[in-house]
Amino acid sequence: MLTAKAKEAFNAFNAGFKEKGKLLYQGKYSSHAVRFRAMPAQREGKEKVAIYLDNAATTYPKPEAVYKAIDHYLRHIGASAGRGAYRRALEADGLVFKTRKLLGRLFNIADVSNIIFTSNVTESLNLALKGFLREGDHVVTSHLEHNSMWRPLKVLEKERNIRITVLPSPEGKALDPEQLERTILPGTRLVALTHASNVTGTLMPLKEVGEICRRYHVPLLVDTAQTAGVFPLDIKELKIDLLAFTGHKGLLGPTGTGGLYIAPGLEIKPWKEGGTGGASLLEHQPEDLPDRFEAGTLNVAGIVGLGAAVEFILEKGVGQIREHEKALTAYALEQLCQVPGLTLYGPLNAEERVGVFSINLEDIAPEELAYVLDEAYGIMVRAGLHCAPQAHRCIGTVQRGTVRISPGYFNTKEEIEALSVALKEIISH
Amino acid sequence: MFLRKVEITYVSPCLADPQKIRLKAELSDDITEVMPYLNATVKAAIYNHEAPNLTLSKEFRLITLYPRELTMIKALNTTDAWQVIDWLQELINDTYARRSEIAPDYRRKRRPHPLQLYSWLPRLNCKKCGEQHCLAFAALLFSGQQELKNCEPLFSHNYREQREVLLELAKALR
Ligand SMILES: Cc1ncc(COP(=O)(O)O)c(C=O)c1O
Ligand code: SF4
Repeated sequence: MLTAKAKEAFNAFNAGFKEKGKLLYQGKYSSHAVRFRAMPAQREGKEKVAIYLDNAATTYPKPEAVYKAIDHYLRHIGASAGRGAYRRALEADGLVFKTRKLLGRLFNIADVSNIIFTSNVTESLNLALKGFLREGDHVVTSHLEHNSMWRPLKVLEKERNIRITVLPSPEGKALDPEQLERTILPGTRLVALTHASNVTGTLMPLKEVGEICRRYHVPLLVDTAQTAGVFPLDIKELKIDLLAFTGHKGLLGPTGTGGLYIAPGLEIKPWKEGGTGGASLLEHQPEDLPDRFEAGTLNVAGIVGLGAAVEFILEKGVGQIREHEKALTAYALEQLCQVPGLTLYGPLNAEERVGVFSINLEDIAPEELAYVLDEAYGIMVRAGLHCAPQAHRCIGTVQRGTVRISPGYFNTKEEIEALSVALKEIISH
Repeated sequence: MFLRKVEITYVSPCLADPQKIRLKAELSDDITEVMPYLNATVKAAIYNHEAPNLTLSKEFRLITLYPRELTMIKALNTTDAWQVIDWLQELINDTYARRSEIAPDYRRKRRPHPLQLYSWLPRLNCKKCGEQHCLAFAALLFSGQQELKNCEPLFSHNYREQREVLLELAKALR
């Protein structure tokens, strides 16, 4: 029996398909969409609270200091960093430097000129790959990569004839360092890896990888989208030569912020030229970092917000944040495993993963499950392929996709419990 | 904290090298007291107790400290300048904290090293002074066989700051 509210939601949902002239669900999932079986009748009239569990996409909420810092900058400073010789502009410049310095502390980067700001990790990865790889280079990567790594590599395969070796991750397992070592050849110019999968939460054995890369003198590029701010990252200890980060996920900053650390001596070709504030007389982009890569007015408001966020993280301590994540992860694993008919992908041990869980519930379409969780319970999760089709091939969900649950620093055990209660209700009604 | 804050208040391209910048910064606290201790510990510092001011370098960057201000020339960009300022602030605060262990040095100037003289020259190797290159000029300046006024470029507008420092250094050579 469908409740009135569910019927209404279903009609709106279905009208959308008709408009587009196609049915989203095909084969065995279509019948569920039509019946909307996942909507439990007993939710009618019950209070729903907003529980945000899509922190792998972007974290929410942000620390209070982030909102305040951005407001203060926009309202009371407002000037562009490093443009002009008046105090306000120089104050803005000082704030940008402060964020750079905080990031330097977070990642143990001594010379923060080597940290350049970008608009997100996608831009950082594109810059690193396209600015570093040359005709015919060999690159080693993994099957768990996000499209922001995978697609630029595929473009370079076409345009610069690079050769790509992809390390397998059967069932979403971490790569095997021994296998990595065997794939490094004399012509290998880069190892490019995500630190953690945004589909399965799998953590890659970065320490072993770094040691192997150093042994063979191959630079290591790491996509830290899912780990920066959550997992202790020390470029010296982990031997990372190119660290790409995004500001709006675990770093708790606003969207439109990110960056790339470039180890001294690595030659990366800039992809844009333009104004840098200083050295305007030169006809060429200045050679020195960070200006070499920072043409155009920076996202000062965003960078200021990111600075406040990193300050918050440093105050709490990344180690402590990781402990919180592990505790929440262990609890979520325990809770999810108790839901009948639930398939959980990726490692079952909190130590081997971050707080990103891909699940499916019996044969309910992921989109339907996400929709019902939101409509009936106010629980926000994401459904689909999560921009990483290779990773879905590894876990056999490339046709269907998954529901992705990703708690963040501000989520609680109670909220995870509410999710598990909702899932149990949905499956048993 | 002895010196709490340093704030850049002015930036412009280096006159001698437009790829680099020169700047002024304001100090939140008067650092006069720490200068003799810096003079005693910082290698190749040039101290003028009467003024007072103290000049030092960090690699290719040249810095002069005044009681409530500093100037820097040849910084790469503002990020570079902020990093050097951080280093300076730490140096000043650290020196101040350790001052009981340091014998302050009030001497007006110590005899500068030829390489120190060289670092403040225009380094154009233009031979206008009659020498093959600036390094030779610096060595002869040190031994009293050359005079600062023979380096013509130094007396152009572009090298004002460097000239002032060299004139100060030259006094110690006599
Ligand atoms: C592993 C991974 N890499 C890259 C990205 C792309 O991040 P952004 O959209 O901030 O560039 C994401 C997030 O979607 C991710 O999870
Ligand atoms: S004149 Fe000055 S700049 Fe030219 S070579 Fe002599 S010392 Fe160097």
